[in-house]
Amino acid sequence: MVATDEELVARSMQGDADSFNQLVLRWERPIYALAYRVIGRDEDARDVAQETFLRAFRALPGFKGQAKFSSWLYRIALNLCRDWIRRKKRTPVVDMPEGVDVIELAAEQGPVESIEDLVARQEMSAIVAEGMKLLPDEQRTAIVLKEYHGLTFQEIADLQGCPLSTVKTRLYQGLSVLRRHLESQGMTTYEG
Amino acid sequence: MTIQFACDDKQTLIAYLYGEIDPAARRAVDDHLALCSACAAEAAALGGVRSELGLWMPPHAELDFAIVKKSELPPSNVLRPARWWNAAPVWAQAAAAVLVLAAGAAIANLQVKSGPDGFSVSTGWIQERTLGAPAQGADAGSEVEGWRPALAAMEQQLRSEIRSTRDQAAPASGRGSADDAIMRRVQQLITEAEKRHSQELAARLIDFTRDVNMQRRADLMNISRGMVSYEEQLQRQRQMINNVYRVSATPQQ
Repeated sequence: MVATDEELVARSMQGDADSFNQLVLRWERPIYALAYRVIGRDEDARDVAQETFLRAFRALPGFKGQAKFSSWLYRIALNLCRDWIRRKKRTPVVDMPEGVDVIELAAEQGPVESIEDLVARQEMSAIVAEGMKLLPDEQRTAIVLKEYHGLTFQEIADLQGCPLSTVKTRLYQGLSVLRRHLESQGMTTYEG
Repeated sequence: MTIQFACDDKQTLIAYLYGEIDPAARRAVDDHLALCSACAAEAAALGGVRSELGLWMPPHAELDFAIVKKSELPPSNVLRPARWWNAAPVWAQAAAAVLVLAAGAAIANLQVKSGPDGFSVSTGWIQERTLGAPAQGADAGSEVEGWRPALAAMEQQLRSEIRSTRDQAAPASGRGSADDAIMRRVQQLITEAEKRHSQELAARLIDFTRDVNMQRRADLMNISRGMVSYEEQLQRQRQMINNVYRVSATPQQ
């Protein structure tokens, strides 16, 4: 039976490093993905993810369990992302990662998707990434947490330290900016 | 009480889009969207944006983070600044210690004598006097002169021993075994890296072969499709030529 986060946290707090490493294994990819989408650089996102787990490990004795372990990790990671953005004093770059080419993507996707489809998808992905770059930090972070990590409005509000209504406004404004950007790039945004 | 949805209520629209809305409010939005084409278009467009966002994926990164206790790290992984005495082998350090002791004893004029009264140890440059014995200044002077060549001989002997053991002692020393351990660790790392690279290469080759096969299959299909259309075209041309022949062969009225 798979141990829950809470069980692993409890064991980690008793000094079991293996249990903490199980938590790391469970959460390293979501935390890296969050950092990548917020700050947009592969290497820096790795550093942020690694630092997130180091800080969590050091601060574990102070973790009282009022929030979910994942929310606690997200908070640490977002604080680090915020520090990174402040330190670099620049807009996050959300370009396509270096070294990604169509053939590699084709190998990952299997034989179903044609090369032409992959090229088109890569182009659309780049357009989406460009659109995300246009958003202010708060709107981008709210969209990333909602769309890619499935957090509730309340969880996002707790993480961003703002009222729930502000989260909804940020999401609406962010999606509207993205809609205009995608339409200007010839991408239809109507569902169906 | 009936809930009404207004066109400018964007927060409820967002809650509706993400499904975090109570059933009554959902029904109100549904009813409104059925009547208001502008809001329906906006809801559809924002839903479309959400679909497009799914296209943006982070790169696949090899992470493998792990918390490792310091005590579990192999010693070769810990880099420390070198201390000057670590550079000297153990035997040289021992020889240096002996030299220092010998020099110290010489300076202190350490003398150990055995006589009928047992052992007597004396230091300092004042000649030990036995009660009742007269001072022998000349003898004392000759003793002082006597230990100098002895000390010089001992120094020479130590130097030659150091020189002769340097070549033999170095490989068998503790430092030598530490070097061996490091070399073994480096060798092991190289082997692991080579193994990993060959596995990656094999995986790449499999992917590449699959891509080439896919492309080849697609090319063959295109070629066969082209051949079919070419044959059809050829057939049409033949029919056309036949028709021309037929028309030309028909006697004109």
